[in-house]
Amino acid sequence: MLEIRNLHVSYGAISAVRGVDLDIAVGEIVALVGANGAGKTTVARAIAGLLPYQGEIRYAGRLLKPNSAERNLRLGVALVPEGRGILSSMTVGENLLMGLYTRIDRDQAAADLADVQSRFPILAERRDTMASLLSGGEQQMLAIARALLSKPKLLLLDEPSLGLAPKMTDFVFEMVLRLRDEGLTVLLVEQKARQALKIAGRAYLMETGRVLTSGPARELLEDHVLANAFLGAGASKA
Amino acid sequence: MMSTYYAGLLADVGILLLGALSVYIILATGQLSLGNAGFMGIGAYLTSYLTVTMGVPLTLALVIAAAASGAIGVIIGFPALRLRGIYLAMATLGFGEMVRSFFLNFDAMGGAGGFHGMRHVSLGYIWTWAAAILLLVAILEHSQIWLELRAVRDDETAAALVGLDTTTIKVGAFGFAAAVAAIAGGLFAHHHVYIEPGNFSFERSIDFVLAVILGGSTVGAGALVGALLLVMLPEHLRFLADWRFAVFGGLLIAMLLVRRQGILDRSLFRFFEFRRSA
Repeated sequence: MLEIRNLHVSYGAISAVRGVDLDIAVGEIVALVGANGAGKTTVARAIAGLLPYQGEIRYAGRLLKPNSAERNLRLGVALVPEGRGILSSMTVGENLLMGLYTRIDRDQAAADLADVQSRFPILAERRDTMASLLSGGEQQMLAIARALLSKPKLLLLDEPSLGLAPKMTDFVFEMVLRLRDEGLTVLLVEQKARQALKIAGRAYLMETGRVLTSGPARELLEDHVLANAFLGAGASKA
Repeated sequence: MMSTYYAGLLADVGILLLGALSVYIILATGQLSLGNAGFMGIGAYLTSYLTVTMGVPLTLALVIAAAASGAIGVIIGFPALRLRGIYLAMATLGFGEMVRSFFLNFDAMGGAGGFHGMRHVSLGYIWTWAAAILLLVAILEHSQIWLELRAVRDDETAAALVGLDTTTIKVGAFGFAAAVAAIAGGLFAHHHVYIEPGNFSFERSIDFVLAVILGGSTVGAGALVGALLLVMLPEHLRFLADWRFAVFGGLLIAMLLVRRQGILDRSLFRFFEFRRSA
């Protein structure tokens, strides 16, 4: 579904991503893990079309262009950004409405809105509440719900557990598994590597802008050297 | 029967309202323009040229001037909107001063000596335009378009991620605002029947911004309240003679300390909607 070849991204003189190759097949969860500053978020933002880059990103056979977030979304690539990207002056209902912006199938869009509200009942209950007043977990739900309303085929989740209580993190990860079961393809960018590897099929481990290693998530999790060096103590016991 | 004095003040309120709305429209996308007096000047001179020299009816002249100023706004908008925050404010300020300087040296329209010959318009005519544009903005505020503007203001990246073309939205807002400011200029020229470049200086742009900040920058009606205050309050302080502008300034500061968000804000409207539905 997604093929990245020799991706390079720079912020001025600083090279954030250097020659990354990455593949995602239809219907799988791929985890992109690594320490802070490894370049994970930059890769996700490049795929979403938010950044200028060099190299090649192909989605469903089409060559994606840099700085083309709107086009990429219409093609079916949605990003839930780090920090959630909530539209804070709007209500929950207005945020959800914005999620439908690219939809032209109005009847189906209305049905999808109802579906999303049944997945996240709290969002339906708090429809008229200002989005900025939601808790961190509720904001994350809203961000995911809004992305789902664009009917993506590839969902990029950037640090979805950031700042969430453990219970809420579990809820989000369970939701990702459910979405995968329903046919959605997911790239999960996470610093909580152990948890991400538990639900992912394959994973890429990044360090200082490069892919250090990749393979089946369980193998990375069980590799004692890698686990101790990059995934935190006790990773291999998981 | 209203006195000529009050009719003049109310005409100034209507014109300031339009200028303030032009700032409010740009502010809705999170951008601050300090150069809207430049668009007002373009509207004033172009409308006056059309009515005095070409004999075009005023309403048609206003529409033509609004379209021309809107187009200039879009052209200026593309390079200007690569900038943000204080840098955009400085760039628009530079544009405003450039326009003023242009008319100062443009002898065909009177240069420093100004331009005259326009026919005076009635208070009713000015307020028909002001009310129509205020109503248009109020309608837009409840539309999908305004939601898009607010999305860009809240978080440009998030707006792009829901599929909005943020550049088109910002440039479009800039063009619309430039058109509204041009109408303010055309009405100003035909209310005062004489214009000179100094009428469209930086201070005029600041008046527009001040009206929006005072009245409330999250609702269009705030521009009306701000315009009323800015025009009427100094008049009602005339008994203070030379001290009136000092007291006026003090009152403005006190008001902003009490209500930073301006006199009107969106939550106030929500409260009334809630009370009505309860």
